[in-house]
Amino acid sequence: MILQSLKISLESLWANKMRSFLSMLGIIIGVGAVIAIVSVGTGSTQQVTSSITDLGSNMITIYPRTPRGQGGQINNISSQEKFSLELAEYMDKFCPSIKKVIPVKQVSGRLISDDINVNSTILGTNIDYAEVNNYELDMGNFISENDNRERRQVMVLGSDLAEDLFEGDNPIGKKIKLDYENQAYIFEIVGLMKEKGSTIGGNLDDQAYIPVSVAMDKLTNSDYVSSYIAQATSSEKASAAVSELENFMIKFLEDEDQEQFRIISQDEILDTVSSVTGTMSLMLGGIAAISLLVGGIGIMNIMLVSVTERTREIGVRKALGARNIHILFQFLMESLNLSSLGGILGVGFGWLAAYFLSQYGNWPMVIAPLSVVLAFGFALFIGIFFGLYPAMKAAKMNPVDALRYE
Amino acid sequence: MSKIMKIENLEKTYHLGKVEVEALRGVSFEINTGDFISIMGPSGSGKSTLMHIIGCLDYPTEGKYFLSGQDVSKLNDNQLALFRNQKIGFVFQQFNLLPRATILRNVELPLTYSKINSENIKEKAIEALEKVGLGNRLKHKPNEISGGQKQRVAVARALVNHPSIILADEPTGNLDSKTGQDIMRMIDKLHDDGNTIILVTHEAEIARYARRVIHLKDGLIDRDEVIV
Repeated sequence: MILQSLKISLESLWANKMRSFLSMLGIIIGVGAVIAIVSVGTGSTQQVTSSITDLGSNMITIYPRTPRGQGGQINNISSQEKFSLELAEYMDKFCPSIKKVIPVKQVSGRLISDDINVNSTILGTNIDYAEVNNYELDMGNFISENDNRERRQVMVLGSDLAEDLFEGDNPIGKKIKLDYENQAYIFEIVGLMKEKGSTIGGNLDDQAYIPVSVAMDKLTNSDYVSSYIAQATSSEKASAAVSELENFMIKFLEDEDQEQFRIISQDEILDTVSSVTGTMSLMLGGIAAISLLVGGIGIMNIMLVSVTERTREIGVRKALGARNIHILFQFLMESLNLSSLGGILGVGFGWLAAYFLSQYGNWPMVIAPLSVVLAFGFALFIGIFFGLYPAMKAAKMNPVDALRYE
Repeated sequence: MSKIMKIENLEKTYHLGKVEVEALRGVSFEINTGDFISIMGPSGSGKSTLMHIIGCLDYPTEGKYFLSGQDVSKLNDNQLALFRNQKIGFVFQQFNLLPRATILRNVELPLTYSKINSENIKEKAIEALEKVGLGNRLKHKPNEISGGQKQRVAVARALVNHPSIILADEPTGNLDSKTGQDIMRMIDKLHDDGNTIILVTHEAEIARYARRVIHLKDGLIDRDEVIV
């Protein structure tokens, strides 16, 4: 009986090709929109996620916070004055999920080469900085352990900075003057970094890198660093690493309320990004679902027209022995065919839309199988749901009245 | 001869808003297997109502209707549908073929609604179409053939399930007189082959093809005439 109803309904859909297509349009657009939107959502999230992970692997940054003072009193316990080099070693020791901790001392100064000078950010750090940031050398070497131990005045340049200072000449081996707080220091350029672009830590290409020991002992004459960059042993351990670090810092600084330090992890940023894109996808998906619903109403409308128009046919079929269930199935099958055919075309349409959008937005094209199944399933459900009323109306027709219908 | 059909004191009242219309006011008669009868009467005589009840399309308000020994007035919708499918072959004035289906498909239709899921539906339909002389028009659509041919398709469709009764409602009403006579001769031949035929008409000329004419007037049998 189902097979027979399928055949009958396909015949009648084929007989009204244009009308069938138009009533399918709502479903086509709805299903297509759901698939395309989910695909755009996942694709763009993947793109953002991968560009965030590109910044460095499993990076956690620990900053001091300027503590609140009480009333007019100066708060003399500044956490900044606890961020020592030794603390980095302690962190490493007490947090098993941490692979390494890199101290960063950030200063601002003027770099002078011949008659060009550039105000720039100079980071005192160590050899691991480049690795943790996925930051690659173009030529020369990065700051080495020996450089730090012997407090050598060597400098590695970011690509933009090198371009500004040396205008395309090979800077390796050249001397450069750093003007810091009215003191002049001469550095030798030992390395040039590849282009990296803007990251969460600012534009690395605009910066210069020197041994942290030089930045602390020679430039600032300070025992404290600006921040630490910690790297978790693996991405699975990243959240464990963050809580270990938090506990460690709370104990070490006796700072239960975490007022003196701040920990920013990549996971946290990824969470924010995915929650934003998740909300967007949900919202757009909702709109697409509404259009599916509207498509369903369109199908119901056309089915009602079709039932009225074919009242006589229903009467003839009944006179020839069709039972109510035959008629019900025939019309239900028709709306189901409309919605499933619309669903199939919609999947194709969504796939195409997703493809072109991914080309345009330059992110990977991801078609989530779940979104296809869900959108198609919802289309079928809508076909049944909105087809049921017209089909029941057809099935319940009185054969005598139906035969008389003009 | 065995009785194929018996109606007893059949009444049908329609409620149109507050007005009650008594279409049938107590009609009784019997039909034997192999009979060819006409039900005749002017419009409003109740012949359409009677035909609907005989055709198992409608229920009587009062009275009994036995078809093949079964009380049809007690059947539910689905059982009625099955009865229509197995026992009745309809021929309508307006042919009532499905316009988008081929002639073959139209004739197959009663078979597809049969509970017996026969595999030789197509063969049976072709056989019925050959019987009415349309074995060469299987793939045509109804709008591609003449009125007389349409009515012959309808006759083939009525025959295909080997029904107990062939019920023809003004079968010549939409045909010119010559084609109408052709159709009537064909129906006459079906009777000769042993089919039971009930013809509903208002044309005396057509009614005279039957061996017995029941004249209806105002919902009652006016005259029951046997034609020799």
